Amino acid sequence: MKDRVAFDLLYRQTSAKLFGVCLRVLNDRAEAEEALQEVFVKIWMKADRFAVSDLSPISWLVAVARNHAIDRIRARRQPAVDIDAALDVADPAPGPEAAAVAGGENERIHHCLEELEKDRAAAVRGAYLKGESYAELAERYGVPLNTMRTWLRRSLLKLRECLER
Amino acid sequence: MTLADNNEPERGGDDMIAAEYVLGVLPNDERQGAARRIDGEPEFARLVDRWEVHLSPLAEAYPEVEAPASVKPAVDRRLFSGAAQSQAARQAGMWSSLAFWRGLAAAAVAALAIYIAVPYINPPAPVPETRLVASLAADGSDVRYLAVYDAAQGDVGLSHVSGERAAGRDFELWMIEGTNAPVSMGVIPVGSTIHLKISPELQKKLATGAVLAVSLEPSGGSPTGQPTGPVVAAGDLKNI
Repeated sequence: MKDRVAFDLLYRQTSAKLFGVCLRVLNDRAEAEEALQEVFVKIWMKADRFAVSDLSPISWLVAVARNHAIDRIRARRQPAVDIDAALDVADPAPGPEAAAVAGGENERIHHCLEELEKDRAAAVRGAYLKGESYAELAERYGVPLNTMRTWLRRSLLKLRECLER
Repeated sequence: MTLADNNEPERGGDDMIAAEYVLGVLPNDERQGAARRIDGEPEFARLVDRWEVHLSPLAEAYPEVEAPASVKPAVDRRLFSGAAQSQAARQAGMWSSLAFWRGLAAAAVAALAIYIAVPYINPPAPVPETRLVASLAADGSDVRYLAVYDAAQGDVGLSHVSGERAAGRDFELWMIEGTNAPVSMGVIPVGSTIHLKISPELQKKLATGAVLAVSLEPSGGSPTGQPTGPVVAAGDLKNI
């Protein structure tokens, strides 16, 4: 069956990256494994939608995986309850990420993040890569939830201004 | 926490919600609300897509980790076993025809696989931006094609996804560049995957942003050199 062949190829080329995404966000191998299954089912169901996106195919696939993994932690994690446990495991050494970021330095987003204060840029990166919620970020930075949201929105407005400059 | 609690003076509030959705920081209820809006509101979906594009370079930081061997067989069971197919058909909702749904999904997955696999199969792409893709569809029409333009080959590959031509009529492919009159790229032969050779003059004009359109014409193509029948599918060319 031709569609199976295409799907197998797609899986071979992208499953490691998408598993990396699920693992990083969910921080739990068994759950990431389950999420990855669901992600590929979603990709199969929604593949036609990538044509109306401006994302490259691999970025579109990563977005599907990332959004699905974040949906899962939002649904599972009641922030006030297990936030300490979450923070304990959510912060492995930054080594490989820093290296990977250095590789894409010419991208505009990196340049624009540099224009933000260091801790605010770190909050944006952390939220993106680990799928942290406002509640978790507020806990981490020791500020009230609404302050955190105001903070981050200001950062996003500045980013938008820079990205569209 | 709701938007009303937020005292940040806000212009473009939707754009901020789109950004927060993409970043992933929203609490569960607001996140689900945003997800519903992506499905139902094209304007909002576009805002989300733009933030996805802006932030996507950050995803380079995700390391590749080999997926457990059990995942692929599990996915195959869910997608390709009989039970999975009927479940998928149900989820496809208004697309009541299983064949239609499967055809669409398969064509789209095949297109994705091709774009992704090409750099691996054929490592250093000689010229950037030599492949463009367009998804051709229109409201009120079930005709859908996926088009891939390969500049190196001077060739447009068309995957017929759905929609049949009426007896004695033909589909004709057009390129529309800006406000210029449509230029014919030829009658589309019947078939699920077909290739059209593109003339060198036309190749110069085929670029990101050009629109491809399919019109219904008398058998053998438009007699006038311009579309005479309804446009049954259209879409703009994008970089892969």
